[in-house]
Amino acid sequence: MTAATPLLEISNLSAKVGGKNVLHGLSLTVNAGEVHAIMGPNGSGKSTLAYVLAGRPGYEITGGGVKFQGRDLLTMEPEERARAGMFLGFQYPVEIPGVNNVYLLKAAVNAKRKATGQPEVDAYEFLQLVRGKMKLMQMDESFLSRGVNEGFSGGEKKRNEILQMLVLEPALAVLDETDSGLDIDALKVVARGVNSLRAADRGVLLITHYQRLLDHIVPDQVHVLARGRIARSGDKSLAHELEKRGYDWVLEVA
Amino acid sequence: MIALPTNKDENWRYANLRPLAKAKADAVAAEAATHAAITLPAALPGYERWVFVDGRFAADLSAPAPDSCAALLNARDAGEDFSAMLDAAIATEGADLALARVNGTRGDQVLHIAPPDGAEANIELTFIASAGAATGTSYPRVQVHAGRGAHLRIVERHLSSGSADSAINAAFDLALRADATIDHCRLQNFADAASAYDTLLAHVGERATYRLRTITLGGLASRSTILVKLAGRAARCELTAGSIANGIQTHDVFAEIEHSNADTVTRELYRGIATDRGKLGFNGKMIVRESAPGADSDQSLKTLLTGTGAEASIRPQLEIYTDKVRAKHGATTGKLDEQMLFYLLSRGIDRRTAQTLLQWAFIEDVISRMDCAPLRVEIELLVAAQLNEVSALEGLLGP
Repeated sequence: MTAATPLLEISNLSAKVGGKNVLHGLSLTVNAGEVHAIMGPNGSGKSTLAYVLAGRPGYEITGGGVKFQGRDLLTMEPEERARAGMFLGFQYPVEIPGVNNVYLLKAAVNAKRKATGQPEVDAYEFLQLVRGKMKLMQMDESFLSRGVNEGFSGGEKKRNEILQMLVLEPALAVLDETDSGLDIDALKVVARGVNSLRAADRGVLLITHYQRLLDHIVPDQVHVLARGRIARSGDKSLAHELEKRGYDWVLEVA
Repeated sequence: MIALPTNKDENWRYANLRPLAKAKADAVAAEAATHAAITLPAALPGYERWVFVDGRFAADLSAPAPDSCAALLNARDAGEDFSAMLDAAIATEGADLALARVNGTRGDQVLHIAPPDGAEANIELTFIASAGAATGTSYPRVQVHAGRGAHLRIVERHLSSGSADSAINAAFDLALRADATIDHCRLQNFADAASAYDTLLAHVGERATYRLRTITLGGLASRSTILVKLAGRAARCELTAGSIANGIQTHDVFAEIEHSNADTVTRELYRGIATDRGKLGFNGKMIVRESAPGADSDQSLKTLLTGTGAEASIRPQLEIYTDKVRAKHGATTGKLDEQMLFYLLSRGIDRRTAQTLLQWAFIEDVISRMDCAPLRVEIELLVAAQLNEVSALEGLLGP
């Protein structure tokens, strides 16, 4: 990857799920160092885009392509994408009782290290790192020994997604409605976590239904997704305009 | 001659009975057992140890407590007092008790465990199978009689020394007087060629609690018949059973729990994983008699099939003769959860490890209930080995 290669380059992407066309020729480029927000009404294809990028089974690509750091993303297995630096923050993180959080974090970090030829993480250093990130996310240490998301509240699950992201330090984080179901305090904690990851060599794709998250994580660009494609792009002021005028305004223009 | 059950008998449809029919029915001769090659698991702190090889007490491998409440009896001296306590209705259940009767006529040793009123005792029972089926059948037999308010912890292991096709027919009878508690953890990890059949009868008195946690990993064929009678008011049974059937293993359980007095409680949980061409059967029958108003039973039975030729048959059955009852039951058979799998993959974990992890998570419900910590660790390692993925699970094992 050269300096000029975009982090993520989606070209004319079309995808189907459950026999229904959801994405219709979507194009989007995210460069390293940028935060892009994708907004849009329900059913516009926001979550589909997130799942297609992460490689969830059941999504059929019917046209176009996606390059991640110059590589053809769509031919990669979900686990390869993760190891290459793609992270999906789930809208509805699943509960996996019986597998504890610290195990998952460590296994994920080591899978990534193994893929890049690095030795396994030192257990002590790892725990110190995780503890630091947990403090940032205002999470109690007892979370570590609990089952993955087991019995977590909606807010705790979202915090846990961000914690995983912070520990994995992905090149590109795709956060699917991470703000949904959060009260204002939790929203600030999540935003702080995301902001702490912002760096010149990373990108964030922030999928959200509401503008309020963008008060705390200020995006470089805002896109409106409607009917499976980008209907409008702009800077952060576009989010405010949407808040005032609603999505119908964009749909009419589109 | 006692007629053996067949697959035509209602509660035996799923059991693999062929190895039993082929085995030599005589008890393995005492001299057939050699103890030199036997490696035992580490002794459990605070537990006295009783080891049996091919159904016979092995004094050289055992360490009973000096004031033990357990004693080895000749089969002919034991049992009369005990059988009088057992409910006549249970004792007449034909095919279900046939194997226990065979055990009673063929075996010659009985371990009698009788903690007196108010006493506490911790007993480890390890049964080692070493002889092949052509040499004879092992007939371990244990009788437990817990006095009023007594608390007995039993850790029971069934293991192989070597890889012989041993045939085992074990029988356990337990009686709990009022307010007694028995915590009973059982591990079956015989060699792949062995065949194990066991019958467990428990009679639970007033306010007494019987907790049985079992995990079945080994054997070509394994069949457990568990018959529990909640005889006293507010008697309680917690049955947790786990099983992993790989290759061509068949693991089958019939568990009948009879509520015959008021306010009796059952908590039953079964988790089975069948991989390859493994077969699992769990038939959980709950009976609530008219004499048991206020009975409360909860049954959760789940199997996970991960092999293309794997099979499972789970049958929750309720027979209720009173209106004043709370009975909850759920039974599911399924494959690995795709959402959980994708979640793990999306974190960079490879597919095989992710699948193993989810199997682990599934059976963990059973393992976590093994309340003897050293045994739990031992079981964790065996389960990881059974899932063929010790290294992947390393971070999850241990105290």
